[in-house]
Amino acid sequence: MGHAQKRLASTAARLASVPLSSLKSFPPKQATSSEAIFNAEHWSTLQPPPTSAFSALAHRIGLGSAIGPSDLQQACTHPSVLSLHAQHRPTDPPPAVNGNLDALGNSLLGLFATEHLNATYPHLPTRALKAAVSAYVGPLTCASVAKEMGAASLLRWHRTPPTSTRPAIMHTDALSSIPRALTALVYQHRSLPTARTFAQSFFLSREVNLRSMLKFRDPKMNLVETVHKFGRERPVSRLLKETGRFSNSPVFVVGIFSGADKLGEGFGSSLKMAEYRAAEDSLHRLYLTQTPPHLVRVPTSTFPMTQGDVFTAGEEGAYVPGELGETEVLLGSAGRSSIVQPKRQSVSEEEVEEL
Amino acid sequence: MASRLAPATKPLFRAQLSSRPTNGHVAFIPQVRKVVFEYCEKWASSANTRSYLHRHLEDLARAHPHVEVVVKQRNYKPPIVRGFYLNDNEKVIGLNGFEITGIQNKVQLLLDSSGAKIKPLKRRTIESTTESARGIWSGLHVDETFKI
Repeated sequence: MGHAQKRLASTAARLASVPLSSLKSFPPKQATSSEAIFNAEHWSTLQPPPTSAFSALAHRIGLGSAIGPSDLQQACTHPSVLSLHAQHRPTDPPPAVNGNLDALGNSLLGLFATEHLNATYPHLPTRALKAAVSAYVGPLTCASVAKEMGAASLLRWHRTPPTSTRPAIMHTDALSSIPRALTALVYQHRSLPTARTFAQSFFLSREVNLRSMLKFRDPKMNLVETVHKFGRERPVSRLLKETGRFSNSPVFVVGIFSGADKLGEGFGSSLKMAEYRAAEDSLHRLYLTQTPPHLVRVPTSTFPMTQGDVFTAGEEGAYVPGELGETEVLLGSAGRSSIVQPKRQSVSEEEVEEL
Repeated sequence: MASRLAPATKPLFRAQLSSRPTNGHVAFIPQVRKVVFEYCEKWASSANTRSYLHRHLEDLARAHPHVEVVVKQRNYKPPIVRGFYLNDNEKVIGLNGFEITGIQNKVQLLLDSSGAKIKPLKRRTIESTTESARGIWSGLHVDETFKI
């Protein structure tokens, strides 16, 4: 497809689609009458999608028995249509919109993502954890999920330019409100554990590259401080294998050892490069340590499994928290390099003091 | 105050972070969203299609609640069935000349498809989003270093 056709297709995808089978007569009477200027885009936004489309959506995402078509229609209607509705149909009651559901679902998704990632990656640095939460349940992911569910054609929204008090409302913002609203609906109609399962199936099972979120200015210094914090021997880098020294394509394999344990390994075309990569590898192996999925325990498992919101009484589930790990070394991060971390005393020093 | 150094690493913008879909790993979203049958009321070429619509269509719609089923009259033309998919693709199959079992097979083909373009499997190498399970062989990580 050429560039122009692609632009046309993407613009058409953002417009509200109205299937002909759901209309009594087409073209609508306002279009042919000469009373006022007819805006086709506004007219199509105000047409509700057919109930069969919502029923199909419910079954497609596995909520066929849980949520009815009217609630789904509310979940797919963005608050930006209210102004349009008041302008063109002032006598009709305003449509139910997903503003409150969006906010509730956003909080729920943030909760589930944070506790899941914290339990799965106990040593992940705080900033990387926050970035990972955005990657798993952030605005772009929510918009993608809405498109993959097939809710993009059911969305009713109105493009709003930015004002002094709020930013512009674009297609991504409107689309991202749909999966959040669906999560809130699952919570309202069933329970919090069910909403967590919903978030697990559609959000937390997605693929995110966490390695790209870990960036180091000086991984060697970072590693020395981290190893000291864990009370281990100072890291020593050793050349494990090499080939092609003094040629135009050398390869060096360097390992970093703390005593007898190899912390990480790296390769490179120079000794410095290989050592740098080995330090990065060691830190990745620490920060990206993952709890096996069947051993992940989250705090919200204490909520009762019975139907109802979190305020209804019920039998509390068991929860055993994971071990607290060491916090990451703050080194050259966001201008805090002047703050000195208190050094942990090594084991031998502590024994001498006790005597 | 010394001039600020440029950050050594590129900053991450949280609002621009996204993830990739994994349809089927936990939950599976069927890719077909609508199936439209177009038939003629009078001509004999649509006779088998008309009897299929009378006898089997309701059971099909009940068995696949995630699909919208639409029946449209399109007179003086051969019968067709159209499938609409979540990736905005369409598949159109003509039903002229098929018996009822043939029509059932074609409809099942539409329901099973993902709407992706059919690419030949002969010349494609391995395509995966995950790295290989056993890793890529390295001549430096064997007992005897590999000599070219």
